[in-house]
Amino acid sequence: MIGGRRPLQGRKPGDKRVRVERKHAEYFRYDEEGVLVAKPKAHEEHSAVGRTIAAVRRAFFGAPLSSEADLEQRLDKKKALAIFSSDAISSSAYATEEILRVLVLAGAAAMLLSIQVAMAIAALLFVVAISYRQVCFAYPTGGGSYSVAGRNFGRIASLVAASALIIDYVLTVAVSTSSAVEQIVSAVPGLKTESIVIGVAAIALITLGNLRGLRESGSIFALPTYLFLGSALLMIGMGVYRILVEGGGVPVEQRFTGVPSAVETVGVLLLLKAFAGGSVALTGTEAIATGVNAFKPPESRNAANTLMVMAALLAILFIGITFLAVNYGIFHVDGGATVIAQVSARIYGDGSLGFYAFQLFTALLLFLAANTSFNAFPRLVAILGQDGFMPRQFSFRGDRLSFTMGIVLLGILAASLVILFGGVTHALIPLYSVGVFLDFTISQSGMVRHWLRERGRGWQYRITINTVGAVLTGIVLVVVTFAKAPQSLLVLLLIPLLVGIMLFIRREYDDQADELAVRPEQVIGPPHRRERVILPVPGITRAVVQAVNFGRSLSDDVRAVHVTDDAEAGARLRKDWERQIPGVPLVIVESPFRALVQPFLTYLDVMVPPEEDTITIVVLPEYVARHWWERLLYNQTANRMREALVGRPDTVVANVPYRREKP
Amino acid sequence: MPETPFAPLKRAVVGLNGGPTDARVVKLGCQLAKPLKAELIALHIVEVDWSHDLEEDIASDNVIASTVLDLAERIGEKMGQPIRTELLQARDVGAALVDEAAELEADVMIIGLPYRKKFGGDFAIGRTVPYVLQNAACQVIVVREPIGARDSGPAADQLVGSVRRAGSPA
Repeated sequence: MIGGRRPLQGRKPGDKRVRVERKHAEYFRYDEEGVLVAKPKAHEEHSAVGRTIAAVRRAFFGAPLSSEADLEQRLDKKKALAIFSSDAISSSAYATEEILRVLVLAGAAAMLLSIQVAMAIAALLFVVAISYRQVCFAYPTGGGSYSVAGRNFGRIASLVAASALIIDYVLTVAVSTSSAVEQIVSAVPGLKTESIVIGVAAIALITLGNLRGLRESGSIFALPTYLFLGSALLMIGMGVYRILVEGGGVPVEQRFTGVPSAVETVGVLLLLKAFAGGSVALTGTEAIATGVNAFKPPESRNAANTLMVMAALLAILFIGITFLAVNYGIFHVDGGATVIAQVSARIYGDGSLGFYAFQLFTALLLFLAANTSFNAFPRLVAILGQDGFMPRQFSFRGDRLSFTMGIVLLGILAASLVILFGGVTHALIPLYSVGVFLDFTISQSGMVRHWLRERGRGWQYRITINTVGAVLTGIVLVVVTFAKAPQSLLVLLLIPLLVGIMLFIRREYDDQADELAVRPEQVIGPPHRRERVILPVPGITRAVVQAVNFGRSLSDDVRAVHVTDDAEAGARLRKDWERQIPGVPLVIVESPFRALVQPFLTYLDVMVPPEEDTITIVVLPEYVARHWWERLLYNQTANRMREALVGRPDTVVANVPYRREKP
Repeated sequence: MPETPFAPLKRAVVGLNGGPTDARVVKLGCQLAKPLKAELIALHIVEVDWSHDLEEDIASDNVIASTVLDLAERIGEKMGQPIRTELLQARDVGAALVDEAAELEADVMIIGLPYRKKFGGDFAIGRTVPYVLQNAACQVIVVREPIGARDSGPAADQLVGSVRRAGSPA
């Protein structure tokens, strides 16, 4: 009989067989000799509380996915376009407004220059997109400018790029959410007082969606992106047709009639400021290059093609919306509807179903644009975690294969910014562009260095593109920093701070690694240190006896220590101890001030001080609690002793649990 | 209901020998069972020679035997078809397969046949497959290893991706 099973008789007399019990089969699977793979059952919690928590987690975040499912979680191009480009595409909802906000200072005539400014920004977008396309091929593992800077300029430049990206991603969530709420308020002004609550709730929902895993979040987010794209392109098409074919635009002399009188003249500085404001349209362009490894194979080609489609769509939307705004004489009004809302009201009809649908799609897209960062930010901090610049927990994947810690951190930071800035998009934008253009400049300069070093096929063409990109984005960085000062300077302070923190973390990990390293050539010999065992005992109990026996199995040098404030009780214990546990000396430490832990620790320090050639093993008898509430009743002194002894040199603390036999 | 020559199929048994045909046999079992929502059971028989008592525990700690069934389970997981596994000890593999399939009331049994030649060049069919073909109450499918499959690389493994295996008993 094997595993409780008896032989089974076959059809013929000699044909017997025995079923063999495979004890491991329920919990583990052999992958090869010596390698066991844990099955879901092996991950199950043993306690009722643990099982309940696991059930709640499953309800919120879904059932755990195995690491093998990672490839299945990769994104195809259509889904990736929706996820990674929602940030870039959604910036078309507020970029035009940022240009008009500046040009309005120079009066109605200056507003007409919006289209030229938008086209200049679109040209810059084209250069940046082509440059990042090359990043996708050159650095297929993802990481974007962090990887590029690291390979080409070294540690500090890569950390500056990473810091800029971190700021960029956090602000993307905050800006997109705030702008989405503004779109809702444009359609339903009654919700203005609830702006912050709506924004924070949206961030919480997106955080939850991402914690459920990449593929599911992709499905959630794909549809609204395409709904916005469809309705926005339709709006632009209808508007352009009416203006160019039907001549339905507002005549030039009648445009911007409500614009306040000019307080500035149209000059280079004003145009540069308008350019700086509108350049927020470029934010999010780098997201695809950072997340190349989230694409289905061939990752680089799929990412590069998606990037170009995204850039083309963004340029069409941005120039189109600006064109319509200028031709219909639309401008920004403080406290009023957003520019894009005014454009859609003109095209679809104010209060029409089309208007409300477009506002809904815009708001949804903006909420979901935050999702770009929820895909890219956790990946970036995971890479930083793997490289030792962030706590390693950031590189661990959760039950659903998502980088849980990074997602949660991003949600908290972005929600805090929304609350801090009162959910006002315009207040957040000055912080936004600086980090983005710093990132672009570092990345493209790194690519110049890359081509100089690699000199692969067509390197002269490639280096030209990246050089133009580096110079242009560098100039825009300077312009944006000065045009948006003093708020923009905050970012310039924040970046060195983040770099300092990351360097500090790396140094800590390096020090620890040096301390724990075992030389490869070193052969570990038998132990050469003496052990001595100290047992703090409250009396003679089964738990104490078990701990004494364990101590004796470790060393011949075992002594028990009893701390008491009752000398008579101590004497009685000694008498019993010598009779019942002979061979183990008992030291009584009288404590007139009734403390238990500190006199024991002092006894250790004074009577058995740490010695290099001796390991002191403090064996703590422990009673195993059967219920959570029993933990409050037992082992409190032992817990305090354990905490106090952690870190004591040449000392090991061993808990010897005693399990109660009675049910 | 999808078209299949094996309907109605409630239970299918795959007999695994730890050889190169195992992955093919399991995959075919999954392809048959999955659309019909049939139960799929993988059997591996450890043959016990007469120097040991049949009831002596030989197989429970045998990693190679366990790996054969675990490999089947893994293929099943990849193909979305749950597989129940059974490890048996018997004097004769063919008899144990036939008896176990009968007890399980299997509708079909799929077994593998490695392509081997006897000394002299004749094809070696062994004794298990003929026994099963002759005695099994249910339908039997024999999957013969393609000629030259072993020369052209791990074709069986390619069927299911990178499946690793500890080793195969001869």
